[in-house]
Amino acid sequence: MPLDTSTYSLALLRLDGRRWNELRRLTAQISTQAAADGSSYLEMGNTKVICTVTGPSEAKATGGNRSGGDKADVQVVINIAGFSGVDRKRRGRRDKRTQEMQTTIANAFSQSLFTHLFPHSTILLSLHILSQDGSLLAALLNASTLALIDAGIPMRDYICACTAGSTSSYSSNDEKADPLLDLNNLEEQELPFLTVATLGDTDDVSVLVMETRVQIGRLEGMLAVGVDGCKQVREILDQVVRKRGTKILEASQL
Amino acid sequence: MPREVEPSLNERQFFANALQENIRLDGRAFDQFRALELEFGDEYGVADVRLGKTRVHTHITAEVTTPFPERPFDGIFTITTELSPMTSPSIEVNRPSETETLLSRLLEKTIRRSGALDTESLCLIAGSKCWSIRADVHVLSHDGNLVDASCIAVIAALQHFRKPDTSTEGEQVTVYTLREREPVPLSLLHFPLCVTFSFYGEGVLGKGGDEEGEVVLVDANLMEEQLREGSVTVGINRHGEVCQIAKLGGVPIDAVTLLHCVNVAGVKVKELSKFIAGRLEADAKKRDKGGLMAELRADNDRVS
Repeated sequence: MPLDTSTYSLALLRLDGRRWNELRRLTAQISTQAAADGSSYLEMGNTKVICTVTGPSEAKATGGNRSGGDKADVQVVINIAGFSGVDRKRRGRRDKRTQEMQTTIANAFSQSLFTHLFPHSTILLSLHILSQDGSLLAALLNASTLALIDAGIPMRDYICACTAGSTSSYSSNDEKADPLLDLNNLEEQELPFLTVATLGDTDDVSVLVMETRVQIGRLEGMLAVGVDGCKQVREILDQVVRKRGTKILEASQL
Repeated sequence: MPREVEPSLNERQFFANALQENIRLDGRAFDQFRALELEFGDEYGVADVRLGKTRVHTHITAEVTTPFPERPFDGIFTITTELSPMTSPSIEVNRPSETETLLSRLLEKTIRRSGALDTESLCLIAGSKCWSIRADVHVLSHDGNLVDASCIAVIAALQHFRKPDTSTEGEQVTVYTLREREPVPLSLLHFPLCVTFSFYGEGVLGKGGDEEGEVVLVDANLMEEQLREGSVTVGINRHGEVCQIAKLGGVPIDAVTLLHCVNVAGVKVKELSKFIAGRLEADAKKRDKGGLMAELRADNDRVS
């Protein structure tokens, strides 16, 4: 079903009633699974993901370590539920798109976690996708950040991610094309978009993935809006962590 | 699983010191590609690319099959990548490595997803017959920057390839052999190419306290690739359309630097496109001994 963008220029509202710079409802909970070292549940609009962290634990003896053992090895496993999309589809683990996402998340956190504190160990991130409605990689990165904080693994800063897109398709030259923040599934299928993850409040981009064609002039606007959106995401994630911290403090003061 | 031989501490320090003095170990500028050579085979659709010591061989083949049921008006275009132990000692036979997965994903996003090849032109009879174009990329030698080299190879081979001419009458399709009619080039909409940038931050350079803090290199060879802390691959065509950007983790880089990289990529791709076009022309001249090609052409003049 093609996206109906005809009303956008009239009211400057997208199909779900948001303006161009509004995030969807982002809610998260931390410590959702008692059995795991760290866990989180995150919703970005209708995209729902669960993340559990196991580690740092002793590395398996077999298998070549990438960094020779002086740093912890971050491993990511993604499981996309068959009921998560519109059609029921069972995806194997060998799917290349899934493997690429796993590598991306592992590389992103290898740089932000203090892996040199845990030599010869493995940190295993297990992600389950329950519902997909756009911003999949962004939701996975955000959920992983929260779960790693819950596990108590020290890190430089939050890795916050969101998506940004552009209202114009690639060929038109109109100057009125607005960058959009946080696209849902329908918008992602029709419009060019990128997923960007930053390190906390800074402008340093940790992950940038764009798979659609866009004019080079639009890229700057999209990236700027994306980075700004990541800063908003950081605020929300920080609130979730602080709320949990407050609860722990209250419980320990009884 | 055999591990790749990592650079020794001496090599690391030598490399880091050289970078801090703005010297690259093989004498190139920071934004300079290695020597690029492109050769075509005797058959149409065979391209051999040499980027420094990295060598990639691509072969395009076509056959008539049934299209996918959910896309009856489109032909099929697949890109497969093969890395063998000949490429690098750390690659095992039949075991998909991370390098291979990333290479094939990047080629897929840059060339297939961006619509470089017009799949609708491959359709013969809607719903029952279409061309299936298959690009096989064989990496013969890995000395860094497989993505850029493979992309050049595939795009050059696609432009070089000629598919057999066909004619349709109702439900019947006649495929003419090479002897009956001259083959027809593929319909390519744009020519996306990739440029990979490698980042070196404090972990490699040490806390030197320099103003910039990050060094960006274009077209890293194997040692530079093993020592890098992050990388971004920009797929862009010569009209300035960015087809894909892939910064899959790695050290966080300022957004302004990334945009600068995209602009540099645009400039580099224009040069590469010119180079490929020059080689294609030279190859065409070599085949067109007596000016027969102009008379034997079976395709119509395109309005471009």
